[in-house]
Order: sequence, then structure tokens, then C-alpha cells
Amino acid sequence: MTTQNGTTAGPTPPAVKVDGLVKRYGDMIALDHFDLEVRRGEIFGLLGPNGSGKTTAINCILALLTYDSGAIRVFGEPMTPTSYALKRRIGIVPQNVAVFDELTVAENIDYFCSLYVPRKAERAPLVEEAIDFAGLGDFRKYRPRKLSGGLLRRLNIACGIAHRPDLIFFDEPTVAVDPQSRNAILEGIERLNRAGATVVYTSHYMEEVERICDRILIMDHGRHLALGTADELKAMIDTGERITIETLDLDDPALAAVRALPCVIEATYDGRELDIRCRRGEHNLVDLIGALRERGANIGHLTSRPPSLNDVFLELTGKALRD
Amino acid sequence: MWSTFVTTLKTNLRNRSALFWLIVFPLALSTLFNGMLADLNEGYEIKAIPLAVVQDANWDKADGAKAFVDVLSGEKRSSSDSGDDAFAGAGGDRTRLLEAVDADTLDEARTALADGRAAGYLRVDGHGMLSLTLSPATASAIRGGAMSTAGDSNTAITVAAIDTMLNLYNRTDASVRDLIARRPQAAASREFWSSVGDVAGLTRETSLTNAKPNMTARYYYALLGMACLMAMGYSISAVTTAQANLSALGIRRTVAPLGRGRQLIAGFLASWLCSAASLTVALAYIRYVCGIPLGGREPAAVAAVAVASFTACALGTMIGAIPKLPHSVKMGLSSAIPCTLSLLSGLYGQFAMNLSDWITRHAPVLALVNPAQQVTNLFYDILYFDSYRPFAATCGILIAMSVLFLAAGVIMLKEQRYEHL
Repeated sequence: MTTQNGTTAGPTPPAVKVDGLVKRYGDMIALDHFDLEVRRGEIFGLLGPNGSGKTTAINCILALLTYDSGAIRVFGEPMTPTSYALKRRIGIVPQNVAVFDELTVAENIDYFCSLYVPRKAERAPLVEEAIDFAGLGDFRKYRPRKLSGGLLRRLNIACGIAHRPDLIFFDEPTVAVDPQSRNAILEGIERLNRAGATVVYTSHYMEEVERICDRILIMDHGRHLALGTADELKAMIDTGERITIETLDLDDPALAAVRALPCVIEATYDGRELDIRCRRGEHNLVDLIGALRERGANIGHLTSRPPSLNDVFLELTGKALRD
Repeated sequence: MWSTFVTTLKTNLRNRSALFWLIVFPLALSTLFNGMLADLNEGYEIKAIPLAVVQDANWDKADGAKAFVDVLSGEKRSSSDSGDDAFAGAGGDRTRLLEAVDADTLDEARTALADGRAAGYLRVDGHGMLSLTLSPATASAIRGGAMSTAGDSNTAITVAAIDTMLNLYNRTDASVRDLIARRPQAAASREFWSSVGDVAGLTRETSLTNAKPNMTARYYYALLGMACLMAMGYSISAVTTAQANLSALGIRRTVAPLGRGRQLIAGFLASWLCSAASLTVALAYIRYVCGIPLGGREPAAVAAVAVASFTACALGTMIGAIPKLPHSVKMGLSSAIPCTLSLLSGLYGQFAMNLSDWITRHAPVLALVNPAQQVTNLFYDILYFDSYRPFAATCGILIAMSVLFLAAGVIMLKEQRYEHL
């Protein structure tokens, strides 16, 4: 059942507010009392592995899917399939490229823009702006099948943002995109945000989310696991440092000695590399090297890095984000 | 809505696969039919057959029979001074029915039959009556639907015409002899002989149909029925690309602030226009290049195209709206359904045409619910019936079908939100 009686907080309601959303597919629960609040003007990251419920959440927000219970408001208004005034302010870049193969790049952008801006004269500069934004100026007369994967993704984005929406949903826009195009896409999203758009960005690529998102919600199995900035999320976990040591002759007593150190949360060895999750501390590296030398282990290449969002996910769920 | 209409037009007109099936395919098949079926109509034309004429003593006494045979063989009269020239006037530009093979005796005529130089022979009996005897091979070829070739059909029709003419001759000859026997003075009267000459003029040619029957037309009409149903692919695409539960494009379009109903209507209208246009091209080719008649009712044929393509688009809308069926499967159906229904409407040759006729006679409901058959009937009605009433009735059947298809489609499309995407 759709509950449309949600409340708005403060005089300026958030761009998106979701309370207690439940969505079931038969016996499987896709969204389990899911909560979300996207503030105006931010880039909000929805991070989770494939199948965690990110796309389902977006489709519910966009009134494409039915849901069992909960409330959804967009700019303070209930979102329904006929909320045309709200829809005018929303742009979507779906996970799968959604363009007409028979139309050129310019015609595709013009058509999707026309669904929001019927007057041609008003639309023409917006279309040109979107073409420039996506860097498709040299390809405006190309049909989609002649574009590379990266250019196709950019076209997908241009079709979703040409009408200058206030709120844009990017659903995994960089899947199967080369690093150069991925960089261009992420820079473009940041530009849109600087121009005033609120962005909801879903991905299972933690580096992307960490790079561009102001706040991040980590979800799995349709549940809200943690919310905050990247630093806040990292601060929520015990892991303070991740150390990797290349060593070829580590025996079991040496590994046991490492694991026995107070700073070590977890240590794994694959016969070539010793991977250690450490607690926050100032002498972790010194303690580790000391323990290994004491057991006569040779140390090769050594790296130390702060925790990533993957470590956050690992600690919250017991599994790696990319699994 | 206008931009959706224009965009659907563009996507349809740039869809090479659809253009092939809707324009190239009917034109290619029409051209093929034109070559293959050319002799089918010829099979229903009168062509002169070789007949031996036994010129024995009876023949020499029957001046009227000589004049009669000369007329049937298209030769100039051999005797101009005979009073028995009632049929001579009918010579002129009439069709030749026979090629006379001279035979002095009955045996010579039989030899000509045995040699294959003649299909039969004509002889005059002792009472001046003309009779026709056919060779066993000719009789077998034209008997009981064994007409396997166009030549056999020609022979059968020509023999039937000769037989009719012989009966006419013999009846007239008997009447004249009877009258002269009773009133001998009549033989001296010019008016009497003129009135005998008028016997043939008492026969008037009438047509039972609006236009001259054309045996190949049905095949072309069945082809139009198939091409018409192929056009349902346009509306299938128009629906699947507008529905969030059917395509990624549908998700993008459903999120837009233009109502889904308006998008679907725009797509339907554009699809209808495209299918009607492509079918009109096929119709024009069939009519003006292949020379298939439409009974002088070309505007009605264009109206038929509009009705038929509307039905095809309605059927496509219903198929396009079926949930959980991939677009590729639906496009496969847009080919499979016309191919199957066209078999039942007679497209694939004589066997299919016989099957179509059998269904019409023995399972009329099946013919009634077959849109390919009804589209074929539209053009058939135009060609053959004097009145437009059968045409209007067929239009009504197709419109009723369209309403049902659209209603089923709307029921499936009424969901605003979906359980799954």
C-alpha cells in the first residue's frame, strides 16, 4: 500500500525523502524499511553491491514500481505516476542505455528534451548545451550504433539532463565504460551539481562514489547500513589502516605472531602477500615489521593505506563490496 | 505529442527491417506472382483448337455448315450465294474457335485424331446436323477437374464455346427447315432470311460481376492481406518503447511529464500512417505495374488500405502490450502471425486457395476471425460486387476486430506502476 502522508522537515523540504519503504517480490524482500533523505544541492551516493536494491529504490521513488508500504516525497510532494509538475524537475540516466537506434545523437537529445520542453525555440539552445556538455559536438549526426561504449553512455546522460532538471538520478552510469570516459562522466556530474542540480548517484564502484559524493548511503539486501560522508563512514569502523607486505617465506608461527599483535584485527596470507587490517594506532607498521623480523621472515614490497569504503562495507557486512 | 508522432515516423521510416518487409517484400512477391501466374489468366481465354472437318457427301450438301465452320475458324466465307448464310454475318471480328483440318472421309479425320493433328472432328450427318467428336486424350484432359495445365483449361473453354455454337446452329437449322417445309414461299422472302440472321442477335452478353473476373487477383489480394498484417510490427515497437515494463526507453519516457496515453496515441497514429503508406505503395504497384484490376474503384481500395492498416496496428498494439514477453519475440510474432494467417487466406498457391475456399464454405467463423482473410475480402468485394454493401460489411468486421484488439491492449496497458520492471 502506498502511504502518501509523509511529513516534510523544515521550511525547505529535502529533494527526496523516503520513509520505511518496503518492496517485496513474492517472498523476497527487495527493500526492507528503507529510509533515505537527499538534501537539495548535494551529490548523494547510493552504494551497494549488485542486487542490493539501489535500482529498485530509484524506481520506487520515480513512481515506476509499486511498493508494499512506506512514503516517498520529492521536493516535499508525494510522487505519483501523474505528478507531471514534479516530473518536469527530474532527470534520469538509466542503467541501460535508452536511446533510439534510428535517430541521430542530436535527434535523440532533442526528442527526450521535447517531452519536457515542447516549444522548439525554447528547446534548441538546451539541446546544444547538452551536446556540448557531453562532448558530442563532433558526433551530432551519428547514429548510436556508430558510437563507442563511452560516447553512448555520454549520449545516455545528455538525453537525461538536456531539460536542465533540478534533481537527476544517475543509475550506474559508468558500467562498462573506459577510464577516460568514466572520468569525463564524473567531471560532468560535478559540473551539473555546481550548476545547482541535486544528484542521486548509484554505483557499486566505491572509488567513484568516494570521489564525487557529498554523502553516501551504504545499503545491502534492501537495508540501510550506514550513512555519512566518506570520512564519517570510515570513522565508523575499527579498521584504521590496511597494510600489505610481500613475503615469500612466512611460516605458520610467524603468521600466528602477527595475528597476536594487539593492533591487528585480521591477517590473511596467500603464499605471496600478507594482508593485514589494523586498528587505529601510531606504531602499527613498526610493531608488524618487528614481529616478522623476530620470526626471520624476509620482507619485500610493503604498502600502507587508510581504510576504503570497501573496508567499511566489509566490516559492516562481513563481505567485500565487489563480491 | 507532436514530437512523439514525428519521432515515431522517423524511427519507422529508418527501420530497414520494417521497410524491407513492408515495401520491398510485397513488391518483390508481386513481381514474382506476375511472372508465375501470368498463364493462369491465359488458361481462361478462348484459344482455337485444331478440328478435322469431314468433307464428305453430307458436307457438300450443307452450305450452311460450311459457312458456319468458316466463321468459327475465322476464314472468309467460301460461298456467297447461299441462302443458308445466317451465321456468316457473325464472322467479322469474332474470336477464332477452331483451326480447320481438312479430311475427305471420316477415316481420315480419325487418323488426324490419332496423329494428334486434331483434337476432334466435325461432321455433318444425313439430316444436315453438325456434330463434334473429341479425341479420347482431349476428352480426358478437359473432364472432371483434371485441368492441370493452362492449355487444358483453354481447350475446355473453347470446346464448351464450340458446343454452344453447334447447338445454336443445329437448332436454327432445324427451325429453318421446318418452316420452309410448312411454308415453302418463305424461302423466297428476304425478310425471312433476315430474321433467321437475327437469331444470333437475340443473345446478349451480360456480366454477373462488377468487373471481369481475374483469376490471379485473389493471390495479389492475399498478398496485400499479408503485407498489411506485417505492418503490425510498427505498432508493436511503438508500444514497447513507451512502456516502462517493456524497455529501457519506456522507463525514460514514462518518467517524462508527457502522459503515457498521449505518447501511445501519437505512436499509434504514426504507425498507422506508415503502414497505410507502405500498403498504398504495394497497392499502386499491384494495380499499375502488375495490372491487377480493382474494378475501377481505386478510391475504395485506398479506403480499404486505411481500414486494413488500422486493424493491423490495433493487433500490433495488443501484441505489443503483452507483459513479460521480450520485444524480439513480439517482432517474431509480427512475422509468424501474418505468414500463418495468409496460408488460410490462400496466399501460397492453389492448395492454399482451395484451403481458403474450404474454410469459407465449411468453417465460416474461422474465415470471419482471420484478419488476413478479411483484408483479402476487402479487395475481392471491391472487384466483384456491384454494390458497396459487402465491402462496407467487411470494413465493419475489421473495425470490430480493431476495437477488440485495442480494448485488450488498453486493459494490459492500464497499469500506471508495475510490480516488476
